Amino acid sequence: MKNSFDEKILEEASDWVQANQKVVLATVIQTWGSSPRQVGSRMIVNEKGDFSGSVSGGCVESAVVRECVGLIKDKKPSKKIEFKVSNESAWEVGLACGGEIAVYLEQIN
Amino acid sequence: MKFKTLQEIIKKKSFKKEFAILTNLKNGETEIFEPGRSLSKEFQNYQNQVENFFKKKKNGVIENTDIFIESYIRPIKVIIIGAVHIAQYLVDFAKSLNFEILIIDPRGYFATSQRFPDLKIINKWPEEAFKEIETSESSALIALTHDPKIDDPALKHALNKKFYYIGALGSKKTHENRCQRLKEAGFSDDQIKSIHGPIGIKLGGKSAPEIALSIVAQLVSETYKK
Repeated sequence: MKNSFDEKILEEASDWVQANQKVVLATVIQTWGSSPRQVGSRMIVNEKGDFSGSVSGGCVESAVVRECVGLIKDKKPSKKIEFKVSNESAWEVGLACGGEIAVYLEQIN
Repeated sequence: MKFKTLQEIIKKKSFKKEFAILTNLKNGETEIFEPGRSLSKEFQNYQNQVENFFKKKKNGVIENTDIFIESYIRPIKVIIIGAVHIAQYLVDFAKSLNFEILIIDPRGYFATSQRFPDLKIINKWPEEAFKEIETSESSALIALTHDPKIDDPALKHALNKKFYYIGALGSKKTHENRCQRLKEAGFSDDQIKSIHGPIGIKLGGKSAPEIALSIVAQLVSETYKK
């Protein structure tokens, strides 16, 4: 069972911001079919591409990091990205479970 | 998300009060929702939908909207009767599965903090102990002493409060006797049938950790049926 109270990813995000890092919060907002992490799962990414937490079983994290760093560079506040199996880039990063996920990225400012 | 909102969320989390984070996926606006409190202009059109969604204790995008909800719901309370050997393994399993565990045992030599570090142990008889614990239909009971003096009052409390999971350790014979006592105490057949006894799913193991695993497996399975 998920217990959001005990997860410390938001606290970590706050620490990163206080250490003058630019931080993007990535949250799984929708899933279809079988997917490794439930809705509400989170990871955080800074401008250097350091990350903590997860949004899948390691399948799409690299792509999410790339998108987050891009968001910081482009100074965009938020963005929604979807990973599908039928999508070529998803094959490349390998959502092997056959599921689909939507991830919402937002900068903390 | 604004840094200020993030700080507020962290503060709310530390109080362990139930709340939800609302995000408008269209414009990135974020707001904290608390049950019974009205929402700001930005979100007020979704008040009813948000409250209904929150009641289901779920995370997700509200149908036909761009509103994402992340609910912070307190973990399920699991009350263990008997600070016995099996309980030590149960505590280990159940902790990583995010249940909130309490142990009741009036026998001081079992219920020591040395045997159960970092755990709330109530060193009282169940009738007394339940006066200081808030329980509801979303609580679970695991009775492990197989001593009627200790288990029975706890089982009666759990039946009256309609706990979603009630399990009691003991052989078929022990359980038959237990059912008979509860019947004589005025509980209906349906109520008595709701007790999982002998407790646990059939794994075949007999050691304390194996029994604990079979109990926790049953508990998780019943939780998802809820």
